[in-house]
Amino acid sequence: MTQVLATTVVVASLYALLAAGYVLVYRATRVLNLAQGDMMTLGGYFLFLVATAAPGEPARAIAGAAALSALAGFLIYRLLMRPMAGHPIFAAVLVTVTLGILLRAAIVLVYTDRIRHPLGLLGLANPARPLIGGAVVSTFDLFTVGAAAALFAALFLFLRFSPLGIQMRAAGEKPLLASQRGINFHLVFALSWALAGFAGALAGILYANNVRLDPSLGVLGLKAFAVALVGGLDSLGGVVPGALIVALVEVLSVRYGDPLLADVSPFLCLLAMLLVRPWGLYGTKEELERV
Amino acid sequence: MARLTRLVALLTVVALAPPAAAQYRIGMSAAITGPASSTYAPTYEAYKVYFQRVNDAGGINGQKVEIAYEDDRGEPQRAAANAKKLGEGTILMVNASTSATYKPFMTESESEKIPLLFGGGVCPREAFPPASPLIFCSTSFGSKWDSRFALGFIKEQSGGKKVKVGFAAQDIPLSRIELEFAEQLAKEMGLDPIPVVVVPGNTPDFTPFAQKLKDAGAEWVLSWALWHVEVGVFEALQRIGWPGRYLLYGHQQTQDELARLKAPSLHAFGGNTLFMENLPIHTEITGLVKGQTTHPPHYMAEGWVSAMVLEAALKKCGWPCSRDKLAAAMAGVSIDTRGLRGGSIEWSADNHYRKNTYYKVYRWDPARSSIVSVGGWTRLEIK
Repeated sequence: MTQVLATTVVVASLYALLAAGYVLVYRATRVLNLAQGDMMTLGGYFLFLVATAAPGEPARAIAGAAALSALAGFLIYRLLMRPMAGHPIFAAVLVTVTLGILLRAAIVLVYTDRIRHPLGLLGLANPARPLIGGAVVSTFDLFTVGAAAALFAALFLFLRFSPLGIQMRAAGEKPLLASQRGINFHLVFALSWALAGFAGALAGILYANNVRLDPSLGVLGLKAFAVALVGGLDSLGGVVPGALIVALVEVLSVRYGDPLLADVSPFLCLLAMLLVRPWGLYGTKEELERV
Repeated sequence: MARLTRLVALLTVVALAPPAAAQYRIGMSAAITGPASSTYAPTYEAYKVYFQRVNDAGGINGQKVEIAYEDDRGEPQRAAANAKKLGEGTILMVNASTSATYKPFMTESESEKIPLLFGGGVCPREAFPPASPLIFCSTSFGSKWDSRFALGFIKEQSGGKKVKVGFAAQDIPLSRIELEFAEQLAKEMGLDPIPVVVVPGNTPDFTPFAQKLKDAGAEWVLSWALWHVEVGVFEALQRIGWPGRYLLYGHQQTQDELARLKAPSLHAFGGNTLFMENLPIHTEITGLVKGQTTHPPHYMAEGWVSAMVLEAALKKCGWPCSRDKLAAAMAGVSIDTRGLRGGSIEWSADNHYRKNTYYKVYRWDPARSSIVSVGGWTRLEIK
């Protein structure tokens, strides 16, 4: 049972990192960024790029990849999403779908579909770590949990106490009032995209070192999308319980049910949530109506 | 008069000129991109390099070989469109893709009476005796025979004891069917099988699947799936401290991955020789593909053998070569694989797989700090 719990926390942490990207962009811009999974993949390939250029320097490679991903998020907003201002939201969502396809194609073009393992390039190992109760996880599993905890703590502090974070919240919650107060919307939106890129990159970097890196990793983004909806699409706080619920159901279905259910269990959770509470655990009802 | 003279001269030139370069026209559909492409795209690359070399050397029977390549991403809908497209004006279709793409190609082959060569994807039932007249397969792996060999190997390595064997399949039909067959066969062979664990290809964590196998008491685990699933389950088993041994089908990634994982309990079986054996044919391929492919030379074996078979079939067909003639020629093909496989590939009227198939097992040897083969080739006679 402890192994089930440990695996649940690890999987939930990965989903939470990804789902944070969906929520950050949605809260600020009301756009569903369906390219979030591919932004995770991009983060993994940025790591591979930097690690190839400077092998054996993990800190530089990870920091470089995360920074490049945040920059990519910013540029996506500046070049693709900002021109969509004033157009229907669904058009912007379609742009993100196209963006995902383009990112995947670009990655295949540059790196082919070969499975990569950047861990060796970084000069790192990923040994097993026994936990209390007999459970075992990998070192990068622990990093994934740590990264998710750190990201959510940092986002909480940033959104609650920093002037820019407060502006982000204001722009998301009361856009008209915020604009009358002179908040720079484009800066806020660009920042939310950059943060989404950063969160996706964290997931990609950790997964690439822990499991593998290939252009198809983006499909994990679909499961994380279910997590964001279960938690409430406009609630960053909802991501954590949403991720834990989805991950627990997924792990339990493998352990005690049919392993094939693992693939559909996030969507079963989503379906159940939509039937009971369509706006998610911590989402707001008004937001759902607006969607 | 002058005009008439010019016209006569022109007609004479046209009449005396050699005919426009005739060609052997072949169509290939492969998973060049998509989730399964790391297994299939190297076959496409090997074909390109191989037939470029053949054409540069003057072609076959004086004719160039023109191959039209189409990407199906391993998706049946794209494969159906490709089959229609490639079935027109070609004398042979080649499929190097996932089993999900087979049906439309087989249908097209049947309706258009065009031979179909599987050269990279798992060999379908129709290539085995009694073979369908138009279906051929050069791929090293073949359903049912792989399990027969793998379970025999496990039994031999266990000293004939009744060991518990687990099976890690992927959620694709072919992998599940193969390992369900293996589960049944294991019982007949006096082993103690554990029900097949099916793993979704895009799972975020392989640990729960590994835990299931470990808790069931598996002493050996056999996996026959796409590479990332085979290895993903093994790495998770290793992490949770499973003390058993693991046997997987060795795809093109085997050489890189055995060296990366350095795990003596991991065994990879397959029909192709690993390039670390440094045979002359390996050196030759390495030289030829240098700078020409996106995958390393040791990924080329599967496609190279398939291209060798096709070259031999076209030679045997002569010129002109119709679909019927080519199918007849293919049914009598026999090629020396020059060490890329354990033996020759020989097709006959009712066996389009091969008369004998050969397997070899590799693993990492910590003492030598290198990949070693576990014994030599094992021959299985295909009946």
